[in-house]
Amino acid sequence: MNTRSLSFRLVAWYAGLLVLVFLLLGAVMFAVVASDLQASMRNDQMRRAQQIADTLLKGISHSDESTLATSVEDLYAPETNDRFIRITRGDGTVLFESHASRNPRIASEVPPLRQLPASPFWREVRLPEGGSLGIGTVIHQSSNGTRYAVEVGARTAPIDAALGRLLAALATGLPLAVAIAVIGGFLLVRRSLVPMERIARKAEDITQHNLSERLPVERTGDELERLTLSLNRMISRLEEAVQGSKRLVADASHELRTPLTVMRGELESMAADPQTSRRTREMLASLMEEVERLAAVVDGLLALSRLDTGEASAAWVKFDLAELVATTADQMSLLAEDRSISVACDAPQHVIVEGNRARLKQVIVNLLDNAIKYTQKGGTVRLKVASQNGQPTLEVSDTGIGIPPEAVPHVFERFYRVERSRSREQGGAGLGLSIVKSICAAHGAAVEVESTPDQGSRFRIRFPLSAPEIEQPNLPRGAA
Amino acid sequence: MRILVIEDEKKLSDLIARALRAERYAVDVAYDGHAAWQMIETYEYDLVILDLMLPGLDGAEILRRTRRRNHHLPILILTALDATDEKVRHFDAGADDYLTKPFAFAELLVRVKALMRRGPVSRASVVRVADLEIDRLSQQVRRAGRKIELTAKEYALLEYLATNPGRVFSRTMIIEHVWDQSFEGLTNIVDVYVRHLRTKVDDPFATKLIRTVRGAGYYLGEGAEQ
Repeated sequence: MNTRSLSFRLVAWYAGLLVLVFLLLGAVMFAVVASDLQASMRNDQMRRAQQIADTLLKGISHSDESTLATSVEDLYAPETNDRFIRITRGDGTVLFESHASRNPRIASEVPPLRQLPASPFWREVRLPEGGSLGIGTVIHQSSNGTRYAVEVGARTAPIDAALGRLLAALATGLPLAVAIAVIGGFLLVRRSLVPMERIARKAEDITQHNLSERLPVERTGDELERLTLSLNRMISRLEEAVQGSKRLVADASHELRTPLTVMRGELESMAADPQTSRRTREMLASLMEEVERLAAVVDGLLALSRLDTGEASAAWVKFDLAELVATTADQMSLLAEDRSISVACDAPQHVIVEGNRARLKQVIVNLLDNAIKYTQKGGTVRLKVASQNGQPTLEVSDTGIGIPPEAVPHVFERFYRVERSRSREQGGAGLGLSIVKSICAAHGAAVEVESTPDQGSRFRIRFPLSAPEIEQPNLPRGAA
Repeated sequence: MRILVIEDEKKLSDLIARALRAERYAVDVAYDGHAAWQMIETYEYDLVILDLMLPGLDGAEILRRTRRRNHHLPILILTALDATDEKVRHFDAGADDYLTKPFAFAELLVRVKALMRRGPVSRASVVRVADLEIDRLSQQVRRAGRKIELTAKEYALLEYLATNPGRVFSRTMIIEHVWDQSFEGLTNIVDVYVRHLRTKVDDPFATKLIRTVRGAGYYLGEGAEQ
């Protein structure tokens, strides 16, 4: 069981509190019952003692004292009622003592009064056979001035037994009650958290591709409904943001590309006109080249902003990176050959990555194109695909002009050029490496660069750890 | 042959209309969605060229309505969006072809022609341009009776140029057909391949067949350099 789960913690708190409350309640109950029982017993004995004093000792004289024992025996039958009765005269003479014959030990345990107390009192005497004897004492003063003490006692055993039973009932009843409450509470908490699990699962399923979906709202009026509504509002805001940026890309595409189309069309039709002079034709051609470049920049920018919105996660597949690198290098080999650059492709085994194949191909094209562009005649460009501890890596290194150290941190920035003049002549839009970086980011891959001026550069892409199985082991080479 | 051009950018629609009229098509132009839909309902067209972003009814809606009414009318979509899933969505909705702005007018005309022909294009297996012979079945190329060895990409490039001799193909068109979109706008790959192709096809001969139109692209054919 997960001890950090909300249901466990709620139930643990609840059970702890419950045990505490039940213990307090039990203790109070026990104390109240015990003191009640003791008080009623005390009152009982005191009342009886008073009764004896009132009835038997009223107007008693020395001569009557001999009949006292018989009267007590007749009226109160202490032996039968298992009660202790003793009447003592002021001078210490015991006029009557129950149990004297039958159970002398009880009486002998109760020491005779040496001196009569001034007022009624209560005491308890331990009995050797266990339990104790509660004794109430009242004082009677006869009309001739003689004082008598009447002691009435009863065993406390029945009270002790009753309290023992109460304790036993509490000791078994309370844990049982706690157990039932905890189990019930656990089930209740679980039941009220089931919708939460459902909400969590549904929320997991919502990605940028199905942002129009919402969590199901149960109209219960409780906190979970509020949570669901809040989450739904959050998803709505996210959806608006994503849609807003998608709309921006769409609008920008339209607003930028339509005029470019018009420019291109007008230029084409002018160039096609046989009346156009050779000089004008030259100017038109130059304009058309600029339109092409502008179109390339627009393409690059829009591709970047689409990547930022997370478009690349469409068409996600597992494929062999080594195969893709080999095919792409093959397709571009003539570019290198043209500059007498040798391209070495070191991709000996299948390396499976997961992602958008067309986008990752663009990464390879951009890096390879860069490497070829900035390497002098006779140089070497090396491609390496490997799996390091299950992590697919792609390396593109060249023996080219390299990148000055101060420029290295900036090469992935949009429109950054190491030297203003150098890449413009090569026809780049200044977006190739930004696109590489964005695509890598969309794939959770890290791209880094090391470079030594005049010796060459090395771009390395590390993909996230991927599943080792090979799903497409025999892709035909040159399929792309 | 009557074509309806639906494009809200007046300059662009007029340009397209002009280019199509030059090819002797009858062209109507609509500048907003409602007008366009009315025209589609009223007249019989052989082809509709449809921009997706329109005032009034948008392009997707017109595409849907038209498809419900007429299953065979060819529709060529013009759009500024080049995301692949976008294209797939419109093909699913019933578009017959798709051009991304900015496009070369040469390309537009090629596509229009292809759509108007309807059905599979009957292509001869052997194409001849002057003394150059391209056999599509055996993928063999001969010039003046002499066999020329080409790599697969060089052959694909030559064959593509030969689909329409005399017509200019832009670099973008060539890249899209012979390579794939990953190469777009990034490399001088087309120029390099054309140069290599020339050393094999043109250099040994007096007449040059692979021609450059600066700023526009390449074409295959005889005649003066444009």
